[in-house]
Amino acid sequence: MLSFILRRLAIAIPTILLIIILSFVLMHSAPGGPFSGERSLPPEVLANIEQKYGLDKPLYQQIFVYVSGIVTEFDFGPSFKYKNQSVNDLIASGFPVTLVYGFWSFVCASLIGISLGVIAALKHNSWPDYAATGTAILGSVLPNFVMAPLLVLLFTVYLNWLPGGGWEGGQIQFIIMPVIALATSYLAGITRITRSSMLEVLGSNFIRTARAKGLPPHHIILRHALKPALLPVLTSLGLSFVGMITGSVVIDQYFSTGGIGQHFVNAALNRDYSVIMGVTILVGSLTILFNLLVEILYAWIDPRIRY
Amino acid sequence: MKSLSSLKLHFLVCLMGAIACLSSASAATHPVSGEKLAAEQVFTYRMAAEPPSIDPQLVEDVEGSAVARDLFEGLLTQKADGSLAPGVAERWELNPAKTIYTFHLRKNARWSNGDAVTAHDFVYAWRRAVDPKLASPYAGYLELTTLKNVGAVIRGERPTSALGVTAIDDYTLQAELDAPLAYFPTMLVHATTMPTPRRVIEQHGDNWTRAGNLVGNGAYLLTEHVLNERMVRVRNPLYWNNQQTILDKVIGLIINDESQAYNRYQANELDKTEVPTGQFRRLQKERPLETFSSPRLCSYYYMFNLNKAPFDDQRVRQALSYAIDRDIITNNILGAGQIPAYTFTPGSTANFSVPDVALASMSRNDRIKTASALLAEAGYGPSRPLKTTIFYNTSEGHKKIAIAISQMWKQRLGVQVTLQNQEWKTFLSTRGSGDFEIARGAWCGDYNEASTFLDLMRSGSDQNDMRYKNERIDQLLAEARTLADPNPNYTEIENIIAAEAPIIPIYHYTGVMLLKPYVKGWPHQNVEANWYAREMYITEH
Repeated sequence: MLSFILRRLAIAIPTILLIIILSFVLMHSAPGGPFSGERSLPPEVLANIEQKYGLDKPLYQQIFVYVSGIVTEFDFGPSFKYKNQSVNDLIASGFPVTLVYGFWSFVCASLIGISLGVIAALKHNSWPDYAATGTAILGSVLPNFVMAPLLVLLFTVYLNWLPGGGWEGGQIQFIIMPVIALATSYLAGITRITRSSMLEVLGSNFIRTARAKGLPPHHIILRHALKPALLPVLTSLGLSFVGMITGSVVIDQYFSTGGIGQHFVNAALNRDYSVIMGVTILVGSLTILFNLLVEILYAWIDPRIRY
Repeated sequence: MKSLSSLKLHFLVCLMGAIACLSSASAATHPVSGEKLAAEQVFTYRMAAEPPSIDPQLVEDVEGSAVARDLFEGLLTQKADGSLAPGVAERWELNPAKTIYTFHLRKNARWSNGDAVTAHDFVYAWRRAVDPKLASPYAGYLELTTLKNVGAVIRGERPTSALGVTAIDDYTLQAELDAPLAYFPTMLVHATTMPTPRRVIEQHGDNWTRAGNLVGNGAYLLTEHVLNERMVRVRNPLYWNNQQTILDKVIGLIINDESQAYNRYQANELDKTEVPTGQFRRLQKERPLETFSSPRLCSYYYMFNLNKAPFDDQRVRQALSYAIDRDIITNNILGAGQIPAYTFTPGSTANFSVPDVALASMSRNDRIKTASALLAEAGYGPSRPLKTTIFYNTSEGHKKIAIAISQMWKQRLGVQVTLQNQEWKTFLSTRGSGDFEIARGAWCGDYNEASTFLDLMRSGSDQNDMRYKNERIDQLLAEARTLADPNPNYTEIENIIAAEAPIIPIYHYTGVMLLKPYVKGWPHQNVEANWYAREMYITEH
């Protein structure tokens, strides 16, 4: 097991390096640059700026400087757009925010999603099944850029219960709407995977044996069926978790939460090279990490899996 | 007294704070208008985006400039109508050759750490603005002022100390220009020329603009800055004119989405926001006392690539300009009081009188007739239709205008138009590299004088994506800088633009906003939309 983990971590390093090089080249091949605007800069001013940020050097040197900055000082460089902020600053101020609303979204989405999926599978082809799948599908057909304004209209403008946006250090009333909007978009997927995987397990021989032994139904479901049924769910949960804790551009822009989700789109539009790199590396590393965790959990849940 | 000991300073701040609180609590009416003031003097407004910087020498956007105007004060500032008012400089004089300005600074101006604001702070700030090491995107702004040696300093050929700005003594500042520039004082309202505290910047480096580190000389202090969420300013008890300030606190909430901002305005979480696109007429009916539209120093136009045939032909360009019905665009598509444009410079520009361009006074039928005749003369007609592409950056608004214009050209002149939208930076790159025939453009004045617009028509201008060259315009522009009344020159330039049509002016922008009726002192007449929190107050509501 330990050698498996070490091996996977060793592979992660070239993977991340590849991510860095690919995104670096892709980004620089996009037309325009971080300093183009409606107002074109005088060439001498542009030259000074490019020199300050090292953009006058050849691309391979820029990549080298960038990577060595990360390796030696864990410095992801200055933001090209926000003049007095480094990428480390931007992530340090935004990531805790997305971590909070992402975590709660994950908890809500997986608890409700798995419960709905299990109910749907147990009451297969009856009204609870239709109700559960219906609820989940409703969540997915209302994308969060539709959900968010609807929530604000209802809870802020009409009912006046919740503030329409902001974060204020993460007080509960500011978290509720972002969590609902983000969780519902993942809900349907989790429900559907749980439902189909549960159905499959419930039809398998060892469950039939358990039933034949006369075990009580709740015992069969919780002790025998749920664990194997959760395996495929786990795979999708790992990736959903990364997706949620790195936030969403819709949530951040709409609710002014100040998380890092907005950087994924804005940094690309602004050609803020270092910020694009920073968030790409963050998501890349988290994805690798959580995939590894999921695989470790596999071995723990399913005794047949050995590394 | 260069600096106070920290204990003394602390005491002073507390004392002045207490006085300020007491005075605002007891002064329940406005000293001039006599209106009843609200007990809570807090103004909350929407910021459309996190500003790239609030460092005066690095500020480049509208939101950052508004914050900088609260936190810092330059030599000169503005009254509500946008006219010049003394800031740190009490008065100034000009030498007979009109190239040396001498500013006399007020002695009671202080930094928020208690230090006196001196001429040296301005020298430091102006040198900093053009320092290649700081690499400010607005270094070019100072280049427009033609301060002595400014170009050489930016190019790194001369040290920053060669810049034509000197502190004669602590309270006398001298600025030396290469050539007379009648509107130089107007340009000093811009944040780039505001003073910055050398010691604080040297101590904190890039982090000096963080709340807690930042030391300013403006009417407000930065107390809280949460990235992409909020910026809070409270009044600065050491500001020289603090007694006249009424508003205690300004909260800027960063809300990217304009309809969400409107929702929060409805929920009374905001006192001011922009009118969401296309909602002006409805809101004007629903909230007549809160909906405002006022002219802005901005123009929307289409530009031709003069290097590409057939747009090297003046007749083709003119025909296309004549065939656009600006009124339809401003009334039916935009509908928020925008002004049809026949000249590049907006009529709201200070001291600018809009020349009588023939196109403006012609009837619709005459325009279409002239346009068809011109195009036929250039060799295009039903048998050989003109084909072209309009480039614009992706946006619903630009798309609507492009569709309307392409329809007008098609119906009236038989021109076949393809519309091509591109993501913003890609669009800028396309336009900059000259890979277009017709492209959308917009320009907002940096200062309130016609040259900020007309300079785009100069043959060497960085903004001249049309590749337009007219020696007469270059000459008129150079000459206008030194004239007491440059208007005849501007009129001639506008007439040349109208005749040669390197661009098609389409409309002049208006700013449309929602402002709660209890917020007073908003400078609606300021076409640059420069607002100062120190001029504002909240009435009882």
